[in-house]
Amino acid sequence: MTTPLILLPSDNVPSDHLPSNTSAPLRLGPGLRLLSEQQSSTPSPGHVINASRAGLLSTDPKRNAVSILSFPNHRYIPTTNDLVIAQVHHSSAEYFHCMVTPQTPHALLAQLAFEGATKKTRPVLKQGDLVYARVLSIGVSAGAEVELTCVNPATGKAEQGGLGPLTGGMVFDVSTGLAARLTRASSSKAEYEDGVAGLVVLDELGTKLEGIGGFEIAVGRNGKVWVDCSNAGDSAIRATVAIGRCLHAVDESNLSPAEQRKLVSRTLREMEV
Amino acid sequence: MVGPATASLSPLTRSDGSSSYKCPATGFNILGSVNAPVELPARRDALKPEEATVEVLVKPGTYPAGVGERYVEGILKGMLGKLVLGREKGYPRRGVVITLAVVGSEDVGRGDSYLTMLPALLHASHLALLSAAVPLSMTFTATVLAVTSSGDIIRDPSVKDATAATSLHVLAISSKGHLLLNESQGAFDFDTWERVHQRALTICRGVQPSGSDGNIAMVEDMEGRPLEGFIRETVEDKVYHDYAWKIDAA
Repeated sequence: MTTPLILLPSDNVPSDHLPSNTSAPLRLGPGLRLLSEQQSSTPSPGHVINASRAGLLSTDPKRNAVSILSFPNHRYIPTTNDLVIAQVHHSSAEYFHCMVTPQTPHALLAQLAFEGATKKTRPVLKQGDLVYARVLSIGVSAGAEVELTCVNPATGKAEQGGLGPLTGGMVFDVSTGLAARLTRASSSKAEYEDGVAGLVVLDELGTKLEGIGGFEIAVGRNGKVWVDCSNAGDSAIRATVAIGRCLHAVDESNLSPAEQRKLVSRTLREMEV
Repeated sequence: MVGPATASLSPLTRSDGSSSYKCPATGFNILGSVNAPVELPARRDALKPEEATVEVLVKPGTYPAGVGERYVEGILKGMLGKLVLGREKGYPRRGVVITLAVVGSEDVGRGDSYLTMLPALLHASHLALLSAAVPLSMTFTATVLAVTSSGDIIRDPSVKDATAATSLHVLAISSKGHLLLNESQGAFDFDTWERVHQRALTICRGVQPSGSDGNIAMVEDMEGRPLEGFIRETVEDKVYHDYAWKIDAA
């Protein structure tokens, strides 16, 4: 691994930092754009990859992708196929109008975009209810509406487990950066000692809370984490709050895996779970 | 010259991006916050339908905002609006709202020149935009210079110096060396302005264009560290802090 490269807007990505895999086309992630070089010093008019936001350059040799990791608390911008936790604002004849991030236009979730939903049997969602949904499309033109779905339109199944209305539980706000890390940590196998993306907090909470019935968790890329401990009986509320506190602490201060384990033990002791 | 400026990124947790910037020479302490992309209050606020609209709000510390604040808001809006890449995904027809609160300053009364505070406001909004990951076409740095009646150029003049000066200049210079902003006040001639421009280039970038051959010569370290390096170091510090889990693991 080469030294970490930190770019500012208008910096060019040096070609030796790009993945050397030439079999697949290079994929540019957020924060990077392709510009044609204007300098007359180079004989052939080439192209340069230019940064448009500040952050750490991250490359993925397997997917032949390159992107910029920016500061973790920026606003979530919907991207197709992202899993988000949306809150129903109001419903119309065809759609539920959902909030994905505050102060942005509502996203549309079709009333029939649920597993097994028909005109006769469809979920009745009231204002304030939560849905775990996938971003179906973000529209093409300026000001287009974002559309959500809770099923795979091809199969009509809720696949990936758990898409649909979230009942009970509680939602915690975290930064979009932590939400992305949590998604990565939960989607890959926890075979590493230090966890994936440096996060062990959920694994640790999972082992510690197994005795009282465990917990359910859903991570939305829009910086929302839904936690439900309804199996825990009397200590359900305390366990939920403890999980939320752990997530907030990990979000606010950069904790190493060892510190995260300590944090979990301390929080659970304080909350008497 | 008093010590270098201090700045931090993302001091506020609830806004999409924030920064605090303190300039010890002039004593200005600015807290900046950016929310983007957000919905504009009314469709008519989207002046250009294909682009993002930049809104700037300046809040003075001790009195309600007035004409002076509207004036700098206009300058900031014009300059930052050209820097923000408003056609990137998620930004067209949305607003980029920048709020700048003056947390501490020297005694600036009503009617005093706002130019002395302008570089601090520019730096605070720039760092907040970087922190909010708003797509920008380039970075920039800014400085304020006062020309005294004897022809000397003072960097970062105090409010008293600024009142006594014959002319006052604020220049913002991009990371590519372009002049992005030039606000001047008072009487001056072209030669004075050229000298001011050269001095600003040295302060912001640490380089001086030497003639038409395109070569650039590094200038002696009389201005201290160039401001451009300061912006870069602030960003790098924050990235190393936020991505310690990734950088340490590699």
